[in-house]
Amino acid sequence: MTLLLIPGLPLLAALLSGAAMLRPKRPRARASERVLAGMTIVSSVLVLLLASKMAWRVAAGATFTALSGWVSVDALGALIILLIALVGTTSAIYSWGYMARSYTEPGRLRLYYANYNLFIFSMLAIPMVNEPTLVWIFVELTTVSSALLVSFENTEAALEAAWKYVALSLMGAGIALLGFLLLFSTLQAAGGESYTWQGLQHVAARMPPALLTTSFVLILVGLGTKVGFVPLHTWLPDAHSQAPSPVCALLSGIETTSVLYVILRLLPIVDSASTPGMRRWVIGFGLLSAGTAAFLLLQVRDYKRLFAFSTVEHMGIILVAAGLAGEAAHFAAVYQILAHTVTKSFCFFAAGAALLTVKTRDISSVRGLIGASPIAAIALLLGALAIAGAPPLPLFMSEFAILRAGLASGRYLTVALLALFIVIAFFGILLHVNRMVFGSPKPGNHEPATQPATAPAAIMPLPHTCIAVLIAGGALMIALGLVLPSPLRELLRLAAAGLRR
Amino acid sequence: MLLRILANALQVLVVLLLSPLVAGVLDRLKEIIQSKRGPSVLQPYRDLWKLFHKDEVLSDRSSWLFRATPYVVFVTPIFVTLLIPVLTNYPLFLAFMADMVGVGFVLALGGFFATLGAVDTGNPYGPMGASRTRMVAFLAEPVFVIVFFTVSFVAGSTIPYIVQAHWALSAAIFLSPTHVLLMAAFFLLILAEGGRIPVDSPTGHVELAMIDESKSLEYSGTGAALMKWGGYMKLLVLMCVFLNVLVTPWGLASGQTLSAVALAIPFVALKVLILILALVVVESSLAKLRLFRISEFLGAAFVTCVAAMITQLFKV
Amino acid sequence: MSATTVTSTLASLNSLVGGLFLLTAFAMVATRQTRGCLQLFIAQSLLLAASAFLLGAEYHTPHLYGVGIVDLISKPILVPWILNRTLTREVYAKREIDQVLNIPTSLLIALAFAVFAYFLTRPLLDAVAPQFRGANVPIGFAALLLGAYTLAVRREAVPMLLGILAMENGAFFVGILLARDLPFIIELAVASDGLIMVFVVGILVRKIQHRLGSTRIGELATLREGSASPPSPLPHDGSIAPERQNPKAV
Repeated sequence: MTLLLIPGLPLLAALLSGAAMLRPKRPRARASERVLAGMTIVSSVLVLLLASKMAWRVAAGATFTALSGWVSVDALGALIILLIALVGTTSAIYSWGYMARSYTEPGRLRLYYANYNLFIFSMLAIPMVNEPTLVWIFVELTTVSSALLVSFENTEAALEAAWKYVALSLMGAGIALLGFLLLFSTLQAAGGESYTWQGLQHVAARMPPALLTTSFVLILVGLGTKVGFVPLHTWLPDAHSQAPSPVCALLSGIETTSVLYVILRLLPIVDSASTPGMRRWVIGFGLLSAGTAAFLLLQVRDYKRLFAFSTVEHMGIILVAAGLAGEAAHFAAVYQILAHTVTKSFCFFAAGAALLTVKTRDISSVRGLIGASPIAAIALLLGALAIAGAPPLPLFMSEFAILRAGLASGRYLTVALLALFIVIAFFGILLHVNRMVFGSPKPGNHEPATQPATAPAAIMPLPHTCIAVLIAGGALMIALGLVLPSPLRELLRLAAAGLRR
Repeated sequence: MLLRILANALQVLVVLLLSPLVAGVLDRLKEIIQSKRGPSVLQPYRDLWKLFHKDEVLSDRSSWLFRATPYVVFVTPIFVTLLIPVLTNYPLFLAFMADMVGVGFVLALGGFFATLGAVDTGNPYGPMGASRTRMVAFLAEPVFVIVFFTVSFVAGSTIPYIVQAHWALSAAIFLSPTHVLLMAAFFLLILAEGGRIPVDSPTGHVELAMIDESKSLEYSGTGAALMKWGGYMKLLVLMCVFLNVLVTPWGLASGQTLSAVALAIPFVALKVLILILALVVVESSLAKLRLFRISEFLGAAFVTCVAAMITQLFKV
Repeated sequence: MSATTVTSTLASLNSLVGGLFLLTAFAMVATRQTRGCLQLFIAQSLLLAASAFLLGAEYHTPHLYGVGIVDLISKPILVPWILNRTLTREVYAKREIDQVLNIPTSLLIALAFAVFAYFLTRPLLDAVAPQFRGANVPIGFAALLLGAYTLAVRREAVPMLLGILAMENGAFFVGILLARDLPFIIELAVASDGLIMVFVVGILVRKIQHRLGSTRIGELATLREGSASPPSPLPHDGSIAPERQNPKAV
């Protein structure tokens, strides 16, 4: 029952918001928007509670099944659900203040909340559904439901970003669809009965290698487009920077990961079958993404794009870690998923706060943010340190664990390259953010209008919910870096076990 | 032996005498589809009759080439008729003289002379049309070559009679992707080579927009009649190659008697009529392409026939 | 008629459908008009349904008939209907579609893709009954790749969307043969998902049209790597910038 409530609540919320959209514009549109925002917060908090409870029990060794096996949750799924629920909640709370401040046209936010809840629903369904083709459907649904969120600003740039996002993601989805259909015939060729993740794993050893390899590559490329692997990443920095900040937190923080989850699900199956070298391809793909993104980070001029490129880098790192063999590497991969989600969503909340303060995304026109809005500045700095991987924050821990696991399994070249990319990204991110936060405004830097940060009169204080989310998120991040609670550690350990046979 | 000679003569006669009718029916149907009445189907015969009774005017700047061209243009389709199945599905005695590539060469010879003849006069439109025809021909050439390659690959031969028998072997071969794509590619080729819409407008009267017609602008009297007649025959010959060699041998005479061969005439006429209907639909629903779009049109034909080739190559 | 004759007839008809399917895929690369693209897509969907019926008859799997019927309802009927509802007629105005590469080059590349598809599927064909080897699998792959290619080169919204749908057609063309026992409910879900996708993309295209005055995606080029981000994202100070009116739209 719990299991069905988790996606059920956002779906209900989405339907209610959608129903609100059907009504023509009324004078009290603003009030109805507040109601929808409140409802979204309540439903996502409930989902978070349910998901935590479920994760707690999964960590203790339970598994959940419903709807005669169509829906089931194991440790890896529970972890992803927990993370989706977490970011869904923080982002919903953040939206309350942020969206109302940014978009004042009455009635527009109804569309936002309808899509928001649908988006959360489709993401939550991905780790729950057991049948790969249905998973594909929900992956496509995440694209469809978030498309209008990306284009929400309705500027030319936002529309372009949304179009690129939709076009490339759906192209990837088409390729992945073929992959999933082939996977089904692979299953049949191996004599398997049920087309589920478990059913696939069950007969993996008997699968014809050619068919399995083809379908895995198709899925890797197809869904990899949506995760943002290089060279199919071109849409990601655009979409993840043009969307409103709470949506960016969702897209960058958790949507990428929940799609990556599907690829991770296939790794043990590919492993079991006689398809040697598949792991090497996976590692190569991951390194390519991490490396390219690290260098692209150096030349960005928009601080939201900065964080978006860092997502590409981290997805690459996770893929490398998952591709490495060994328990330690897989634990580190799962840990990196957790750390990345918590950190990246915080980064975008901080970027949103900075955007509310200075009203520009251009890095070079933001100088001395610390004077203009200490909270935004500190949050941005903390987020940058965390996402770059400074000790003792969680991403440092996970990246360190990945490198150590790689060394232990003798993959020296991989580790060396990965370390290089991480260091480059570290400097790239901090260079930009440091200048934004502490840099002194250049004399005669364009016209005064580009430096609203130095004109205190123009600054409104940040909305309370934003501040609350920033404080809570920062605290969670630091706490996770210092100590990993034992149930969570157990959940990660079990989830890591799902990455291999 | 005598019978085969007679059958051969009958083939030539059919092409010779019925080709103006084909052009007439084509024009008439097109006009009807466009809600007009159109000229009588016998109009081409009247045109030819009229032209044969007119005096010929020759430019004093022109050489023997100009005078020889109409005869070459007129004779080449007749030669081709001897090589291809028009009425019979068994080879007549000249059938092994040349294969489909030979057919292409003989038809190209006529085109070559027409081009030279057009350049030979002082008329500025002639060379323009000639260069355009050459452009179309250059683009069509690779398509022809690939069609022949594919055909020889599928049927193991390029002799028309062997090829046509191959398609009828089984439904699987007849309906295979290779055959379907091959037919589509060749249909596009007929449109290009026969100077039909969308490549060229056979009924156009503006010299600047002409491709094929402008080559014969300078001819008058007998020369013009022969050029015209040659054009009609070329179209019918191409249609016969398409219908009888590439599509099916159905409706052709298999019996070795004169009556059987004569009986094939209505069947072939029916097939030609169906193809004419297809042409009419295409011509009425499409507009003429701009000159530089022709490369795209023939590019499409090329891709189609290469696709035919690869579907055959990779057949398991 | 004996059983084997029926089988071979079905298989030959299926090959015919396969050949035409490949032809429509090429034609979608070659066509220059939005309306033509849509018609070719409809033709392709009809061929997909035809193949589903033929394979259903061959393998006695009634749910392939279901797949065919769902396909017949959703793609040739509902997709154009949704597009008509969400977009203005102006999208189909007879203008030539912008694209990055010219059409002859595109066709040659498309050809290379088709050859590649044949190479790629060679090892997969062991699982396929011999009489169906030539058609569905390689041709579906080729159609998928050509759809992706259309998406990549076209700069006009609706043909790009049709490219996506053509990819889906290609995937299903393989799927109806290789994954023919997939539960019908899933096929239904995929089809309805496709319709939702068309709807949302249609809305997005309408917004772009509203904003830009056309659906030429090629004109959207504000987000270039390395170029400065747009100077000020105006909507953040509260209001939506007045939308650029489209002089042509009525």
